[in-house]
Amino acid sequence: MLILLIPSLLFLIAVFALPLIRYVWLSFHADSVMTGLMAIPNQGANWQRFIHDSRYWQDLLQTLRFALVSVTAEVVLGLAIALILNQPLRKRALIRSSSLIPWALPTTVMALGWRWIFNTPYGPVDRLAQAALGRSLNALGEPSLAWMTTVYADVWKTTPFVALILLAGLQTIPADLYEAAKLEGAGPWVCLRRITIPLLLPYIGLALMFRLAQAFGVFDLVQVMTGGGPASSTESIALYAYWNALRFLDFGYSATIMIASFVILSSLIAIAWLVISTARSRSAGAIAR
Amino acid sequence: MNRWEHWRHRIRAMFWIRRRSFRLVMGIITVIASGLIGLSVFARQADQVSILMPAPFADSTAELVRTFNREHQGRIHLNVIRGPLETEAISDLAISSLLLGDTPFDALLMDVTWIPKYAKAGWLEPLDSYFDDDELNALATGASEGNHYEGSLLRWPLVADIGLLYWRTDLMNQPPRTPEELESISRKLQNSGKIPYGYVWQGRQYEGLSCVYLEMIDGFGGEWLSQQTGRVGLDEAPGIAAARWLDELIERGISPRAVTNFAEPEALQSFKSGQAAFMRNWPYAWAELQKNDSAVRNRVGITTMVAKKGEKPSSTLGSWGLSLLKGSARPESTVEAFKFLTSEESQRYLYTNFGYTPTRKAIFNDQTLLNEHPSLASIGTALSFARARPETPLYAQMSDVLQRKLSSTLTGMTSPRDGMEQAERSTNQVLDAAGGIS
Repeated sequence: MLILLIPSLLFLIAVFALPLIRYVWLSFHADSVMTGLMAIPNQGANWQRFIHDSRYWQDLLQTLRFALVSVTAEVVLGLAIALILNQPLRKRALIRSSSLIPWALPTTVMALGWRWIFNTPYGPVDRLAQAALGRSLNALGEPSLAWMTTVYADVWKTTPFVALILLAGLQTIPADLYEAAKLEGAGPWVCLRRITIPLLLPYIGLALMFRLAQAFGVFDLVQVMTGGGPASSTESIALYAYWNALRFLDFGYSATIMIASFVILSSLIAIAWLVISTARSRSAGAIAR
Repeated sequence: MNRWEHWRHRIRAMFWIRRRSFRLVMGIITVIASGLIGLSVFARQADQVSILMPAPFADSTAELVRTFNREHQGRIHLNVIRGPLETEAISDLAISSLLLGDTPFDALLMDVTWIPKYAKAGWLEPLDSYFDDDELNALATGASEGNHYEGSLLRWPLVADIGLLYWRTDLMNQPPRTPEELESISRKLQNSGKIPYGYVWQGRQYEGLSCVYLEMIDGFGGEWLSQQTGRVGLDEAPGIAAARWLDELIERGISPRAVTNFAEPEALQSFKSGQAAFMRNWPYAWAELQKNDSAVRNRVGITTMVAKKGEKPSSTLGSWGLSLLKGSARPESTVEAFKFLTSEESQRYLYTNFGYTPTRKAIFNDQTLLNEHPSLASIGTALSFARARPETPLYAQMSDVLQRKLSSTLTGMTSPRDGMEQAERSTNQVLDAAGGIS
């Protein structure tokens, strides 16, 4: 039986394991424009530099902040939208499919759109701010605001994706559970807390997995909207690694960043998974009781 | 009825024959035609030369390329590949294909700051044997800079580009010469309500900010990286003063707060709509400001950037030029295309039609052209003050560090002194780390 797994195993090795091993190898070498793009072993100098690279740690915090805030908002909003879309509405198919439009747009296109919407002083958001506050908002030029605009754009774009997953989950919940609860006198709030959310947890977990992994690797959105600025306040790990490789031609260090980020992200996903599964078993226990 | 059947049958039979013979004839024609085409291609042997250029350059040279191909028909066919619009995007594209080894391009239109990096990576073919001293001497001051690295000629300039100070001729008689004058003129105009802002420039965290800063650190008597001693001068008095001056422009309301996210188009937009008395921009802006939708048409002058009393003004050199890539199968034909695209005639065409700054002395001395375009003289003067950005393969890192810290300073996250001291430290780290390797 195991022999049947060999083709897919070979495929996995070629696609995942080999590049990873190559990156680990590269992270112990100097391979940059200064070495004429030749890999020369450098006794862990990349890793030493990495540990003291305050810029990386700042980028990591910023990326985490971006991922956590945007994914939380997306799940909350996505749940609300999924609940609405699950109602017997007129023209439901039309409403459902049109709610997917933001997600279907290419990221670069919509990021360019948001860049102009937040543009100071000509974008509509800034015009509104000028009218309401009497001064420019300067949303993309102010470090404390710029990261929020990227979160906003990301939430706008990917909430429909989360809503879609949760909608699929909602449709697996049998209607008689709600009927039974209603007979027992449960209101909508109780139904949501006691039936919908516990039964939706595996789907929420799935959406979290997908979104956390994507948000952690955010690149195109930030590249187009702010280019990492102002004051590097929106720079993500992926952007930093990309610059090291393609702008600075420092492949050794770029590999170091990638490997370290891979480890960090994997452990984050593992933690998220643990949290979700404990929550699930606890709520399963609560239902049994 | 029977008769009808009979005719139908006959027509069908006829068509079948016709169809078959039709196929046969078509088959023969195809074979002959493809043979002929193959023969003609073989006989012509035109050298295919391809050059990757950013989209705007590909568009403006399209007419020249057509002329070149007409004149060299059967010998060389030049093919310009229209790359992305943004400078960094085109570099990323070129680098990705160069890293894969076999580049699909013979040549690349290169920004001045890329030369050392590409040279060090071993991607460029020296051009020394193709251009003689006369040709080198025909280049205007400023345009001849930034084409060499470690003694070899690696780029032939197509367009000179320099930072300029644009000023409103209807609001003042003389442009400012010093930072203090720029401030006092701005404040006077702003106080009298003639204009909302004094000075707009590029304050976004990107390459343009480094260009703005380079002009100011030089203008305050300092140096970003000394080519002689290799010393970084960001944390010295002029370096800090330059950062402080830019920061204070925002603090004092002479520049709008939004300059911290301004690139060239935003600054141009602001100046063009009459929102500011001064703008720092490249020569391309001149043509934009003379268009019909410009609120400041015929009310704009250009000059060199302000500098402290006793210091020479400085204009960041930002030129584009053609480089031959290693591995090109047709170097001679490629260089022939270079020579055509950068000829005096082509330069005159590119200047009059697209406002591209010429690279040859002869054009700046052309009296008829000067009469038609008075601004050419100011551009020529500014070109003689052109300053190259630090010429090192590590320029991208150096500039990145500087942009980060300047952006922090301008957005009030750090003080100018702290920002520049941190930038100095990080720059030295970048240079030392690389020095340890090489």
